[in-house]
Amino acid sequence: MSLDLLLEPFHYGFMIRAFVGTGLVAIVAAAVGTFVVLKGLAFMGDAIAHTAFTGIALALILGISIYVGALFFALVTALGVVFLTRVSNVKNDTALAILFTGVFALGIALLSGMPGFSGDLNTLLLGSVMAIQAKEIVLMASVAVVVGLVMILFFQRFVLVAFDPVGAEAAGFPVLAFQSLLLTTIAVAIVISIQAVGVVLVVALLITPAATANLLTKNLKTLILLSSAFGLMSAFLGLYISYFFGAPPGATVVLVATLFFGLVLFFQKLRGVLG
Amino acid sequence: MVNARAELAINIRKLTAGYPENTVLRSVSWQVPRGTLAAIIGPNGGGKSTLLKAAVGLLQPFEFETMELLGQKPEIGRKQVAYLPQQEEVDWSFPITVLDVVLQGRLVRQGIWGRYSKEDYASCYEALAFFGLEKHKHTQIGSLSGGQRQRVFLARALVQEAELILLDEPSTGLDAKSQHELADLFNTLRERGKTIVAATHDLNCLTECFDHVLALDGSVLVEGKPDEVLTEANMVALFARHFPKVRASGEVTLHES
Repeated sequence: MSLDLLLEPFHYGFMIRAFVGTGLVAIVAAAVGTFVVLKGLAFMGDAIAHTAFTGIALALILGISIYVGALFFALVTALGVVFLTRVSNVKNDTALAILFTGVFALGIALLSGMPGFSGDLNTLLLGSVMAIQAKEIVLMASVAVVVGLVMILFFQRFVLVAFDPVGAEAAGFPVLAFQSLLLTTIAVAIVISIQAVGVVLVVALLITPAATANLLTKNLKTLILLSSAFGLMSAFLGLYISYFFGAPPGATVVLVATLFFGLVLFFQKLRGVLG
Repeated sequence: MVNARAELAINIRKLTAGYPENTVLRSVSWQVPRGTLAAIIGPNGGGKSTLLKAAVGLLQPFEFETMELLGQKPEIGRKQVAYLPQQEEVDWSFPITVLDVVLQGRLVRQGIWGRYSKEDYASCYEALAFFGLEKHKHTQIGSLSGGQRQRVFLARALVQEAELILLDEPSTGLDAKSQHELADLFNTLRERGKTIVAATHDLNCLTECFDHVLALDGSVLVEGKPDEVLTEANMVALFARHFPKVRASGEVTLHES
């Protein structure tokens, strides 16, 4: 009886696709999110997600793939900020705020000119995990493999530019190239995660599991594995709760991730008080 | 025939550098022979760090006549340069072990491709042993003391096979014992043929740690052996205008214009 109940969501194709799709993006986002947390790039992640929104709006108008539009704008933001801070005297967060609010405003203006835009807006802002199609699963899996390969291949170099970019650049290491590649990887992870949790909450998939793992370990490889595990657990538990209680799936996934963070922090503090 | 330029670790002539709307260095010339233990001293804002950063390309110079590292153009010479930033510029909470930091010395040499080989690890273990850090190899770097952190970065420089090691304020936050240990390490590294250049505000360790001193306040005031540079007249000329002045009226002015 209870097993039947647990397996009930898997009787539906859309739920299986939701589990697989959200699980994939949760793992990818949480893995690259480790660097976002360690480098304090949460604001950057949020900005990339919001500008990806404009890319999606433009793609809807032009009738092209929303992923192409989203990725283009996400990359413009990520690499534009690196460029702006290098060639001008503008501070990183200032450059980011100027770029992302401007581009986000353009997205709203574009979408407001489209018929029936409010439905699209909700989908974009909050995600539509139940509407994930088989071809999107293939895309997510492909991206997950590519991101995974990039992370494995260049892991030590990403660590170097994250930990000591100044020392690395002084010794002639191509810091700018690897910072750009890392930001591109982050942008890609955000773009494929938007379908699952939407523009507003996507940064949570990136940040919260990594921040939770960061409370538990000071070993980077363990941190990335733990972060991915928290991301995956949040996705599965969130979708289960959403299915049985009729809650919005994207928001529930993020709520579960936040709950994990709260619990780990609570028990860590409790251990500190008792120990 | 000995190539005189190749005998210089740093060869800078008429360097002007700084930040937008703030020229910090004006027509600075400085030659550091290989195997020297050199210090750059001067007041805050006098250009100590700016000179180091301009030398390794972290800062684009406004103009210069000559800029060479180890007898080569900076973009080539810097492959054999290790730069140790100020302690507060490093994120010590970063989840990285001592071994992984030291291994990064090999990564810098490898560039874009390549994975760590057995030789890379062997070189790291040797450097860790040299600096007495073997038992800390799996320790998160932030858990070490200030002196030990310096030694980890010096071990990385050794693994990188850096010929020129630049340090920005290496004695900041170190107790007297650690400062003495650092001085010993500098001497040992020099015996291995390395050139050490440090920007420092600590005048006490100059005689013990270094054999050449550059006094800098935007331009070069004086350079030479520590006892030649550390005269009262030079120190007054170098620092006096940065001390507050109290006038008879009681008015305090921070800097003479």
